[in-house]
Amino acid sequence: MTVKRRSKPVSVNPLKIGQSLGGVLAMQGCYRAMPIVHGSQGCSAFPKALLTRHFREPIAVQTSALQEMDVIFDANRNLEEALNAVLSKHRPDIIGIIGTELTDVAGVDYQSMLKSYKRERNMRGGLAFSVTLPDFRGSLESGYSVTVEAMVDELIQQAGLRGQRNVNSRQITLLPGSYLTPGDVMELKEIVSSFGFEVIALPDISTSLSGHLLTGFSPLTRGGVPLDSMLQSLQSGLTIAFGASMERPARRLHNALGTPYKVFQGTMGLKASDELLNFLHQISGVPVPIRYCWQRENLLDCMLDAHFQFAGVSALAALEPDHLRSVSEWLDELGVEQKALITSYETPVVAEMEREVWVGDLDDAEVLGSGADLWISSSHGIAGAERIGAAFLAAGFPIWNELGSYMNVSVGYRGAMEWTNKAGNLLMRREAEHRESRVRHR
Amino acid sequence: MEPIRKEELDDQACGSLAPKSKPCPRPKPGEAAGGCSFDGAQITLLPIMDAAHLVHGPVACAGNSWESRGSLSSGPSLSQYGFATDLSNNDIIFGGEKKLKDSIDYIAGRFAPPAIFVYSTCVTALIGEDMDAVCKEASDRLAIPIVPVNSPGFVGSKNLGNRLAGDALLQYVIGTGEPEQETPLGVNLIGEYNIAGEMWDIEKLMNQAGITLLSRITGDARYKEITWAHRAKANMVVCSRALLGLAKQMESKYGIPYFEGSFYGAKETTYSLRQMAFLLNDREMERRVDRLTEREENRLAHDLRPYRKILKGKKAVLYTGGVKSWSVISALKELGIQVVGVGTNKSSDEDVQRIADRVGDDTEYIPEGGASRIIKTVKERKADIMIAGGRNMYVAMKEQIPFVDINQERHKAYAGYEGLLRLAKELVDSMVNPIWKLASSPAPWDKEGNYDR
Ligand code: SF4
Repeated sequence: MTVKRRSKPVSVNPLKIGQSLGGVLAMQGCYRAMPIVHGSQGCSAFPKALLTRHFREPIAVQTSALQEMDVIFDANRNLEEALNAVLSKHRPDIIGIIGTELTDVAGVDYQSMLKSYKRERNMRGGLAFSVTLPDFRGSLESGYSVTVEAMVDELIQQAGLRGQRNVNSRQITLLPGSYLTPGDVMELKEIVSSFGFEVIALPDISTSLSGHLLTGFSPLTRGGVPLDSMLQSLQSGLTIAFGASMERPARRLHNALGTPYKVFQGTMGLKASDELLNFLHQISGVPVPIRYCWQRENLLDCMLDAHFQFAGVSALAALEPDHLRSVSEWLDELGVEQKALITSYETPVVAEMEREVWVGDLDDAEVLGSGADLWISSSHGIAGAERIGAAFLAAGFPIWNELGSYMNVSVGYRGAMEWTNKAGNLLMRREAEHRESRVRHR
Repeated sequence: MEPIRKEELDDQACGSLAPKSKPCPRPKPGEAAGGCSFDGAQITLLPIMDAAHLVHGPVACAGNSWESRGSLSSGPSLSQYGFATDLSNNDIIFGGEKKLKDSIDYIAGRFAPPAIFVYSTCVTALIGEDMDAVCKEASDRLAIPIVPVNSPGFVGSKNLGNRLAGDALLQYVIGTGEPEQETPLGVNLIGEYNIAGEMWDIEKLMNQAGITLLSRITGDARYKEITWAHRAKANMVVCSRALLGLAKQMESKYGIPYFEGSFYGAKETTYSLRQMAFLLNDREMERRVDRLTEREENRLAHDLRPYRKILKGKKAVLYTGGVKSWSVISALKELGIQVVGVGTNKSSDEDVQRIADRVGDDTEYIPEGGASRIIKTVKERKADIMIAGGRNMYVAMKEQIPFVDINQERHKAYAGYEGLLRLAKELVDSMVNPIWKLASSPAPWDKEGNYDR
């Protein structure tokens, strides 16, 4: 409908997360990978600290450690040094160079530097690519999807198309959006494979950031999709993208290889799940597995039970664009009034939404959503939710106030049920607290 | 383009103004870890709780860093707001000074803070924004202090940022106000950030000894109290080499004597309190401190007994920054723990000397090299526990090594006598936890020969 902005010169309690962090996140879903942030130390230290805090896992990332004079004179000398160090010490399979606002403003050309570096040195069949992710554009979501796009491009280049493609029609490539948790990615892989497909998720944080106990320390990523499987994914008969931001990488595969693709913009709630399962049913000819039929009934029953709790309730959500759209759809199904929807930057998907969306920060959320009963955002919203007296439901990035949030599931019938129950419980507790405080103050 | 603050960089000191100290090592590309100078400046200044802290640059420097410190407030919380000028592509091409001015006006108008700190970042420094001028103009016009903090990330490490923040305090804040009432025996604490509320334990002890805490620089501080810091009779530099320069300059400018001390461990705590009394030069005060420390030490010795029984002879690897590397060793020694490995990557020569004074010959020094090097030491030395910062916590968990967090993000206060007791309890709880046994035993079906045919 319309995207609005409140006029305010300064961002107060930012919702936006630097693009480069999204790039680092995408790289975590690839096995034996190392993102190198081409910028000053802080540009990799902050994302590392924040991702560690959210996932409670070690995070693989390195930096070209630019200092003032390097930026002015020869930033690429640092990058070369960083590449040398990372290659000789850790032998990663995949390297992603992430350009920052610093290299952008200084006009550093690391793309051609990387090309000649790869020519001169034997990269042993590894994958190396670069992206430009200055923090004054986009947000986590765009940084993530741009990185996946560059990764896909490089894969296609690497494979050289090798004449005819051996299309494997039983194999599907999943492109999960940045807002999906490792638990979500796992659930999606399971759903799709339950229709008899082989599934390769690209990237796959469900096997790297979901909490496993591999010992033997390595500074590289410890899980995720291996390079072999990534290359193999080029033979997939179909691409399924989750989140509108993942359409571009899907289109790359389509343009270069002719792989058809399907984008699911929504991933939350009954309708979104119906759509996914019905689609899988149609293309596979396999009946919907009985456990999903059960789950569907479970969800409907749960929504019936919960509807008393949600009646007359209002919510605000402050999330990345794709996530916001998905959550808003789920709120619609619950009949919750959506007092304010705030997102970090404008994308086509939020512009097309049938509701009013604001591009802004968490301070806007506080003002526009004043009076809301339920507040949905990252942990940065806790203080704001408290100030307006709303129940706080953690979603998005970063979340530090609860354990295991990275394993939360929001997709499929099971995810919708989990969220409905969680939100309902929060509202119930809030109601009880209000009652108590009324009694006490009399 | 002129480099930013050439003097600071040239005097080659990373932590202090002393010419002897070694220069800040250049971070190695591909191997560097740790935050930027901007990060360091924020660590120092964000604990001024009632001030607004505005980051001038693209949103990520602020967006990725706000609410990430465990520095607690006993009241105002404006410093927990994340303010950013959020520069766009256009602002960078045409300059962000107008946006900065508008942002300052907006914050002053809406939040009426006692002061605004404005931080430069790499991009605004690179394009040559004249932040000082904008701050000065706004400060005059709005009649509130607006302090430019010129510590963009790319000038160096976190440590340098701490120092540049100290410089900003000296240049713009300290000496601009007067205390509400005369305090003849006031002491400033420098470099205590009230992580997990440690400051409150220290403050309580000082109060009991009758020593007035004049200015907290900067844990749980209010802007005003820093303006009158120059009226103190003594400065104590707590666990932060990077602010030693501030103490030195206050000595030469205002004649305030200082000492470096720590509150980790009973001995260090007692020493620090005594040193304060000594510098205040008050016999009666010294006697009071003696009585207090004796009483506290006795009580602590009694309370610690059950923990010491368990901790005696246990081995630890300690990996933390700068001053904490030696001060925590004292605390651990008092608990009967042997430190078999200690990180020295962020320590100055003096720190290393102090470490050497406190550990035996067979302690391994870990100069750098991050997680893999620490873990190697833990394994080789058969250490029972690893004590380090949150960055290494989950690495330790993967290796199933008991861990205690000693840095910024921790939730427990370990300073003072009470703190040592808490540390002892934390160490024991972490080591005796049933998880270690459970995690190291295989699933039943992976055990050999335990099924019936
Ligand atoms: S290094 Fe510079 S751009 Fe990066 S976070 Fe620090 S101040 Fe910001």
